[in-house]
Amino acid sequence: MNRIEERLAALKAEGKKAFITYTTAGLPDFETTKEIMFAQEKAGIDIMEIGVPFSDPIADGPIIQNASYKAIQNGASLAKVFDLMKETRTQGLKTPVVFMLYYNTVYHYGLDKFALKCVECGVDGIIIPDLPLEEQGELKKELEKAGDETILIQLVSPVSKDRIPKILDGARGFVYCVSQMGVTGKGANFHSQIREYLTEVKKESNIPVMMGFGIREASDVKPLLDIIDGAIVGSHFIKLLEENNYSNDAVIDYVSTFKKELNAD
Amino acid sequence: MADSKYYGEFGGQYVAESLMNTLAELEKAFDEAIKDPEFIKDYMYYLKEYVGRETPLYYAERISEKYGADIYLKREDLNHTGAHKINNVIGQILLAKRMGKTKVIAETGAGQHGVATATGAALFDMECTVYMGAEDIERQRLNVFRMEMLGAKVHPVTTGSSTLKDATNEAIRTWAERAEDTFYIIGSAVGPHPYPKMVKEFQRIISTEARRQILEKTGKLPDAVVACVGGGSNSIGMFADFIDDKDVDLIGVEAGGLGIDTGKHASAMALGQVGVLHGMKTYLLQDDDGNIKLAHSISAGLDYPGVGPEHSYLRDSGRAKYVSVTDKECMEALLELCKVEGIIPAIESAHALAHVLKMAQGEYKGKTIIMCLSGRGDKDVNTVQKYLNGEETNK
Repeated sequence: MNRIEERLAALKAEGKKAFITYTTAGLPDFETTKEIMFAQEKAGIDIMEIGVPFSDPIADGPIIQNASYKAIQNGASLAKVFDLMKETRTQGLKTPVVFMLYYNTVYHYGLDKFALKCVECGVDGIIIPDLPLEEQGELKKELEKAGDETILIQLVSPVSKDRIPKILDGARGFVYCVSQMGVTGKGANFHSQIREYLTEVKKESNIPVMMGFGIREASDVKPLLDIIDGAIVGSHFIKLLEENNYSNDAVIDYVSTFKKELNAD
Repeated sequence: MADSKYYGEFGGQYVAESLMNTLAELEKAFDEAIKDPEFIKDYMYYLKEYVGRETPLYYAERISEKYGADIYLKREDLNHTGAHKINNVIGQILLAKRMGKTKVIAETGAGQHGVATATGAALFDMECTVYMGAEDIERQRLNVFRMEMLGAKVHPVTTGSSTLKDATNEAIRTWAERAEDTFYIIGSAVGPHPYPKMVKEFQRIISTEARRQILEKTGKLPDAVVACVGGGSNSIGMFADFIDDKDVDLIGVEAGGLGIDTGKHASAMALGQVGVLHGMKTYLLQDDDGNIKLAHSISAGLDYPGVGPEHSYLRDSGRAKYVSVTDKECMEALLELCKVEGIIPAIESAHALAHVLKMAQGEYKGKTIIMCLSGRGDKDVNTVQKYLNGEETNK
């Protein structure tokens, strides 16, 4: 069983919600990213998204755009993120890790090579925001060839509507519900039909339903916890890291507080 | 891949899930509109009465004589707003109206598409925001002012390289948020399906007219058709009706900047690397890590790291050939056209001309060539002046 599926099954058995964060790899450097990953594991994070920086991140708002830009300036690349991943696994990181990256990065690296490398380095899932269902064929084929160990996480949006069943058909791990229209990091102004939308996804889905985009604190998703199975925080987490000079204590404090509040009755 | 979303392996819809239904709606609306005689009637009405079509196919007698081939210029520079961009804007804005949208957004590089969009938005009473790289705003101050005079808001984009590709990213981001009431008018033959197809259909008029005009003037088809290629909108329009005329050579001219070997250029096809950007799979300038590289050209309008997917397909299938000319060659050709024909071409169009002059003196001696003179050069006189003074014109 894949680490994501394993962790989410365990949470379900305990009746708990999942907390997922996003960190841009190589920001400000890889050593720090590694420390942040271990600090999060210590604080009880359920899944970590690791962002592979790209020059043209069209699904991201200013915070992640700037983070990506800085990481690239500091020499980050997919090859180095794979190295980081391999190193953290060798050093005992057990938490499921999902790579979040843009399709050109994967395509340029080579789909076959990418799929094999994910397995080799212990990448459990991938999120590619500019690769909708209809364009996933060639990558899925390579992931299957590589043993079907890495999950291509599916995204749905508030306007996916009739596309939802099609997207969920065969989806594994969890489904990533984008909470609003537009890009990441705009704050908790969720879509006006957020409840109806999430309810619809939950009804159609036989895997856990996670919500992301615009979430900062556990209280932002409190009114929706009767529907969703967990929350994803990206831009806010990057901002917090930058404001606290990437301090491990700040990471541990934020992650453990969010997790606790998410699961408080 | 028989799917109409692709041109061979190129094209597609590499966008966020949240835009997939928007693209489906757009595709449906476009397919219906293009078959609706009323829509075509409106489009043709505005092209004639407002844009001033048809544009002449001018036999450039003096330059033909001097260089040794019969050179015909398709005078898109004589369109209202001074370039071919308006053809596509009229088409897309009529479609936007038909779809009930009240706002339009656009990206612009040189500012020509921005001016054309601002013009169309004024004419059809739509709220208009144009995304433009801060770097380009600096290079094209006059066009920024023009857009503002026309009532558009120019939104400076300071992320990434602050040029056309970043302006396009920002326009896509905004569109993903506001597609409900906002129509994104893409100016080049790029983007996710159905944009490349739409832009081709709305620029097809260039070759429809030119083909008829050359037959009237010479009684035969030309030996070659040449156009400059940034994203590739004037060129796809110039090629469209000639694609099935297998004896007509189709030649696209990319911006070679300081020379392909210097790495400072905008020739997406030159190095032949396929990738995914702005919703399409196509040839792109990229670095070893798959990040998009900055394009370099003296011409802001060709300063784009990719090319429309149909061009990638035409290249690979061998139907069209793509070459590049340097900043220097282009500026020499620009000045030559000024002096010999009394026409100041846009720097973009001067790239095509530079290659045409080479062709005329070589393989195409004595043959007939149609070149798309895609825009007028008034917007470029500052750049030309700087270039002649030996100042920096190319970031």
